Amino acid sequence: MDGGICVEKKKICLLGAFAVGKTSLIQRFVNDRFGDKYLTTIGVDISQKLLAPFDSGNGRMCQYHLLIWDIAGMDRFDKVVESYYRGAAGALAVADLTRENTASDLTRICRNFRTVCPTVGILFIGNKADLHPLKGPVSAVLEQVAESFGGQCRVTSAKTGAGVAEAFQLLAETLEKGLDASGPVAPAGF
Amino acid sequence: MQAALSRLLAFKRIGIIRFARDLGLVDVDAQARRMLDLPAAGVGVESLPDLFPELIGNEASVRNVLAGKRIALHLEYVNRRDRQGELRFLDLLVLAGERKNEGLLAVEDVSEKGRMLQELTQQRHELLLYRNAVHFREHLISEAILGRSPAIEKVRRMIRKISRVPSATVLLSGESGTGKNLAARVIHHSSMPAEAPFVEINCAALPDNLMEAELFGYEKGAFTNALSTRAGLLQEAGNGTVLLDEIGELTVPLQAKLLSVLEEHKVRRLGSNREVEIRARIIAATNRDLEREVSAGRFRQDLFYRLHVVAVRMPALREMDQDVLQIAEHLLKVFAIEFKKKSVRGFTPAARKRLLNHSWPGNVRELRNCIERAMIFTESQRIDADELTLLASRRNPARSLEIPPEGLDLEAVERQLIGAALQRSGRNKSRAAQLLGLSRDTLRYRLKKYGMG
Repeated sequence: MDGGICVEKKKICLLGAFAVGKTSLIQRFVNDRFGDKYLTTIGVDISQKLLAPFDSGNGRMCQYHLLIWDIAGMDRFDKVVESYYRGAAGALAVADLTRENTASDLTRICRNFRTVCPTVGILFIGNKADLHPLKGPVSAVLEQVAESFGGQCRVTSAKTGAGVAEAFQLLAETLEKGLDASGPVAPAGF
Repeated sequence: MQAALSRLLAFKRIGIIRFARDLGLVDVDAQARRMLDLPAAGVGVESLPDLFPELIGNEASVRNVLAGKRIALHLEYVNRRDRQGELRFLDLLVLAGERKNEGLLAVEDVSEKGRMLQELTQQRHELLLYRNAVHFREHLISEAILGRSPAIEKVRRMIRKISRVPSATVLLSGESGTGKNLAARVIHHSSMPAEAPFVEINCAALPDNLMEAELFGYEKGAFTNALSTRAGLLQEAGNGTVLLDEIGELTVPLQAKLLSVLEEHKVRRLGSNREVEIRARIIAATNRDLEREVSAGRFRQDLFYRLHVVAVRMPALREMDQDVLQIAEHLLKVFAIEFKKKSVRGFTPAARKRLLNHSWPGNVRELRNCIERAMIFTESQRIDADELTLLASRRNPARSLEIPPEGLDLEAVERQLIGAALQRSGRNKSRAAQLLGLSRDTLRYRLKKYGMG
């Protein structure tokens, strides 16, 4: 408890193929900045962000402390990757709107994620909207993938910031609704 | 042996952290303290997950290691930034300790290996991204600009050629709603590096003095409210693209300045003597007939000729024949996704006929609004004709009926119009008659009269 507000830590995983903008989305959300240069992520990098307090329903104010996991190595799925996913309360699955295969790849990646976290909510993101002037075929594929996992779909641009805060907020609201309540939620010690 | 082991661990840059079953910290050795930038005494946190949030979610696995149910837990390439902000990579290995209910976390600094792996992966990814970018640019043109009519094919061909010359100035003309802005973006995205900026300026949106300051920038004190020096948008665009929308609205004095920028590729900020280089591609767009504006003295002839070197005319929707159906189908799919109405699968034959017969004075913008409205209200699987709300068509727009001062040859004009209608309809006489507002018989009579049959 912090000044009457309960702070809950929530682990969020960012899923998606290389260079879809996972790191950039986190940078935009956490630090409100964007770097033009692409630098591939190796291993796992954790960022943290405290969200605005909300009424948890019983008159008690709660606040989420998000631990956002930027994970590389989506082209493999082994014990190490499994341990990265374990204990997640939510996930953002990111596709690059200019690369169609990044949307279809999410089926495999999210299926792997769901073997570790079977009931955790996933929000699907079409990133790099600034590079794609139209809603093209990637959006359609992403919609289909999202539907097959029972998730919603949003479009963002980490470069301009469009839709980024809204996407994380929407994911946080999914956590609030307790969609993860039956799944492997915040483990002991959270 | 213990001392030798310690030396070996130090040599291999492996630090050891001892922890209890409840994951509380017991001891952190000197090597681990160095790696994690911890003070010589104390840690500042109490539990292992506080020190390594990467272990969050894996507490049960850690306990299984301690209980002997699992040999180890391995997390590789955990990212850490040191005090200088430099990225370091750590490998974490959880093992059972020598004492009961105690565990060891071996922390190995693998930054060198990590950086090599990062470099190799980066090269592989960049190659894949480059291949994809080429593929994406080629497809962007055909994907973004829909239609198969000769008019739109011509636009697509021109844009492909323009995209290979990133320095060429381009003039986009066409009625409102024909997609000039979209064409400008496609030219930009298909010819510029991904990070190149796209700056759009509406020349009708600002008064003359503000437009000048926006375009060219100003020095501190150049005018009353110039409290600091500011680069103009032409400079801000860097090596990207500047779209000057509604260029026909630019005043004559600003046209002269713009011409100078196009000729010299240099700009002088308001209140400055120094010239700054401009590298951005300029795309100008207008729905006005600039040739007529030149005749009327409202647009500089020299600027018109400079802009007209590479000119693309965006066709009106009524010139695109069957393309209206392809664009309508595309918009229907877009709105079906947006409005979550995937059950709506297309148009009834009557609706398709209505779409084809309308003259679309507002062009694709009007079509888009029409489909959006229909998609909001429809409850059927196929949109029917009565669900399409169309604006009244403007036939024979007055702007095409001006008589030149020297007079004209009415029969020659008529022959010319009939020829143009036949060309646009692919020599389909019914469609040509429709374009001219004639019956098929009347057209046939006139073709015979002018020997054009």
